Amino acid sequence: MIKHFYSYHVEIDSLIIEIESLPIEEHEKRHLVELAESQVHNAILDSILSELITEDKRLFLKHLNSKNHEIIWKFLRSKVKDIEEKIEGVALSVKKELYRDIREIKGQS
Amino acid sequence: MDSSGHYRKLADKWIKRHRDFQEQLWASHGDAINDFINSTKNFAIGSISGLMLLSSPAANLIGPVSALTVEEQKLPVDKSAFLASDVLSVLPKEVRPLTPEEENSISQIFTRDFGFKVAHELSGIRLNRSYGYIGAEQHLARYPGDTMTTHFEDSSDSSKFYSSGMAPGLGAWGYFANSRSELTQKDIDREKYYIAVQTFLAPGFAEHTGKYITFFKFRKMLVVNPHTGRAIVVVIGDAGPAEWTGKSLGGSPEVMKYLERVDGSGRGPVLYFFIDDPEDKVPLGPIEIK
Repeated sequence: MIKHFYSYHVEIDSLIIEIESLPIEEHEKRHLVELAESQVHNAILDSILSELITEDKRLFLKHLNSKNHEIIWKFLRSKVKDIEEKIEGVALSVKKELYRDIREIKGQS
Repeated sequence: MDSSGHYRKLADKWIKRHRDFQEQLWASHGDAINDFINSTKNFAIGSISGLMLLSSPAANLIGPVSALTVEEQKLPVDKSAFLASDVLSVLPKEVRPLTPEEENSISQIFTRDFGFKVAHELSGIRLNRSYGYIGAEQHLARYPGDTMTTHFEDSSDSSKFYSSGMAPGLGAWGYFANSRSELTQKDIDREKYYIAVQTFLAPGFAEHTGKYITFFKFRKMLVVNPHTGRAIVVVIGDAGPAEWTGKSLGGSPEVMKYLERVDGSGRGPVLYFFIDDPEDKVPLGPIEIK
């Protein structure tokens, strides 16, 4: 599994457990986990970029590409107030939606 | 609902949402993302994770998953990343006309990866360049009376592409069909997937105008975003843009969206090469490498 700079702030294990509990094939579970992760990831990126001015967006992308988590956090903390909370909030919101989808499917069993 | 139904329903819903997220990301921050990609040649080279950084942490999310492919693939692979990597290793850092050696190398990569002949020159005719900045064009009227209200096949296309508007004049070759009743799927696809290229700047155009116009009219081309490996088969549907714009070609709204290219300050370059398809076998639209 890919380790992201936000991995310490965003847990998705509980989501994976939910997906694992579905009565579907293993490769289907893996695909759904990838899709779930990608939605969380894209939402986090969008929320961060939305907080930055154009020049800072470019700098953030440069840091992101370097994969140096320390530098990414140093940069984000200097630019966005309460960035950790914002990331956690966005991730939680996406996760809630994903949970709802899974529960809906389970309810149709 | 059976287990397969569970999976399909969730996967369909999440794939759609994944696409929406990506579109939103590009719509809101496309300028910065393009600038970053254009300024960083190393971005995609040899790094699939690098290429996917801006779109998703996991590659190959959209395609159908089968037990067989999962068994065979230890890691999910996005083929377009390989194409981008190959192409970027040949391209210069600055956006300029390619040298004959560079054009030959790119032609060979495309021909090998797509399985049909791709070339920067056919029948001794070439364009002024094969690598340059692409700008956004508008929809073209396909037949007399075609307007923005009649132009789209469904509401989904309309919601995505209506805002681009329709060009006030016709394309370089006139209407695609004489009337609505004579409009074929081929005509529809030609307008949907068209580019405008600087035919008037092609070497030899002034001396052999008639021959060149016949050659360029609806000529199939392959257009590739070198930073993502996204590729699309199009036709030459119009002439332009003017030299002073700094752009070398223009893409229909559908072409621009698929290539994830935008106009204005966030514009980016594309590669555009002829497809040798005398039997008209290569379909228009997005294409993936073999």
